[in-house]
Amino acid sequence: MTKNQPIIRFENVTKQYDDDKPILNNVSFEMEKGKFYTLLGPSGCGKTTILRLISGLIEATSGKIYINDKLVNDTPANKRQVNTVFQDYALFPHLNVFDNVAFGLRVKKLPNDVIEKKVKEALRFVNLQGYENREITGMSGGQRQRVAIARAIVNEPEVLLLDEPLSALDLKLRTEMQYELRELQQRLGITFVFVTHDQEEALAMSDEIFVINEGKIEQRGTPRDIYDEPINRFVADFIGESNIITGKMIQDFLVEFAGKQYDCVDQGFKPNETVEIVIRPEDLEITSVERGKFTVKVDSILFRGVHYEIIGYDEIGNEWMIHSTKTATIGDKIGLYFEPEDIHVMRLGETEEEFDARLESYTAQGAEK
Amino acid sequence: MKRKFKPSTIYLAIVFVILYAPIFYLMYYSFNSGGKMYAFDRFTWEWYGELFADTRLLIIVLNTIIIALLSAAISTIIGTIGAIAVWYVKQNKMKNLLLSLNNILIVSPDVVIGASFLILFTFIGLQLGFTSVLLAHIAFSVPIVVIMVLPKLQEMSPSLIAAAKDLGANNYHILTKVILPYITPGIFAGFFMALTYSLDDFAVTFFVTGNGFSTLSVEIYSMARQGVSLTINALSTILFLFTVLLVIGYYFISKRTNANGRMFGLGARK
Repeated sequence: MTKNQPIIRFENVTKQYDDDKPILNNVSFEMEKGKFYTLLGPSGCGKTTILRLISGLIEATSGKIYINDKLVNDTPANKRQVNTVFQDYALFPHLNVFDNVAFGLRVKKLPNDVIEKKVKEALRFVNLQGYENREITGMSGGQRQRVAIARAIVNEPEVLLLDEPLSALDLKLRTEMQYELRELQQRLGITFVFVTHDQEEALAMSDEIFVINEGKIEQRGTPRDIYDEPINRFVADFIGESNIITGKMIQDFLVEFAGKQYDCVDQGFKPNETVEIVIRPEDLEITSVERGKFTVKVDSILFRGVHYEIIGYDEIGNEWMIHSTKTATIGDKIGLYFEPEDIHVMRLGETEEEFDARLESYTAQGAEK
Repeated sequence: MKRKFKPSTIYLAIVFVILYAPIFYLMYYSFNSGGKMYAFDRFTWEWYGELFADTRLLIIVLNTIIIALLSAAISTIIGTIGAIAVWYVKQNKMKNLLLSLNNILIVSPDVVIGASFLILFTFIGLQLGFTSVLLAHIAFSVPIVVIMVLPKLQEMSPSLIAAAKDLGANNYHILTKVILPYITPGIFAGFFMALTYSLDDFAVTFFVTGNGFSTLSVEIYSMARQGVSLTINALSTILFLFTVLLVIGYYFISKRTNANGRMFGLGARK
């Protein structure tokens, strides 16, 4: 993808209430035009704060916020070219669907015929043609959601902010809306900033994910990057299920954990450096004890629908989670097999910049990542 | 069918009978041609006729209604602004303090309020009459309006205001297009409450009214002191029915704003 000009830029932004711990601590990032961004993190991590700073509903304690290369720190929310879809939809209960969607246009004093045309178009965009005169109270959660989206996009914002808009929907509708939102973003071609604590949502929809924890961006990257190359325990743990084991990097391409040495594809560590290794449960393949790279004793099995979730313990007592379509018997010893590239090695306390630099240093040497 | 007569039902019935019996007793004798509150003679409209022939009384009725409407309207405006102001206060301590001050005015005895207004008005040299009664009525109605409007504001999700801002609304738009429409039912409830409080206020009015100006409740009191005339009964009956109408009106308004509007069957009584 070509490098577009950034539409949103944060420079050392901090948000702090009184003398409390800062909600957002010296955060800097850029967002490009026309991409789908997801801010992912546990509740209270500061992801909604970022959204509200972009929309202008709250002000930064320090730092600079740019939209389209224009400093907007002092621009109030009603003057910014961004719109928000709120978590509780925030539809006006005293207005019907048409009037809700028309709200922003009426405030801007557009002529009535233009308003009517635009509202109809926005409603068509979210598949709600013919619902103009419906009362909000008579609509389902999914329909309200669409009204909220229509009300935001009718103003033709450059950035659409979505604050956990799917959290109130049931699972099936949520999955459906994920597809729809992604498609809507591509049709509109504007930047979406989506806030969620649901890692599956984030992986399914985003061009880029920002993993946020305790007011800091832990890692940013494509869903694949984040999933395959988490930079630390928090990210590995938060995105998907992980087996995280402490190990030792003997030398480049050789790591020791659970008492044995294994080939891997990571490098750039000090000899014998203590590291954390990640193996995803679905990368562990059940095989016979002889053929396995190591063995575990099966402790529990849970049927999860698409796969079994098997928990086992190796000889030194490390817990391993395995996702497999094959089941096993509790109490049995099973062999586990994995490929060298299934091992992901994380340096303790490494920041994103350091991680990128290390990756850079050895890809520059011509080594395969 | 026997199950209907549970002790709780009987208790409820007795309570309502005790509460309403005197009123109906009074209404019943307003049609007595005998002119006494006992020994019902014949049905008559005589007392009502007398009532409507009494221009002085009609002027007093008019005064009462004007005072009630004016004081309710003005106090609704002041009270709504007050409720919004209390709601805007972010500090909890301050908010509770303001609310307590408001509630004290509601529960404090009318005699205290009436006497204090009398002292105030004589102190600033305001002549007792229409203005003093109106001001006093506005004063005791404002806290009532505040207490009726505030819950509506508090149940309003703060994200509604955030959404309005986000959609480009300035503070004026937010007030007129979001907050006021949302709290309209509360404003109506406050208005009706203020109206009824003003209509049947006796104690405060009694203190602050002067020569030549009177409201119904004060007038009925002085008529009752002069001796029994069944015009009092007739007047009370009309007042009572009017109050019932107000209650019905309020019921329909609140119902209309709660569910989808269905307005029928109003004037069926009377």
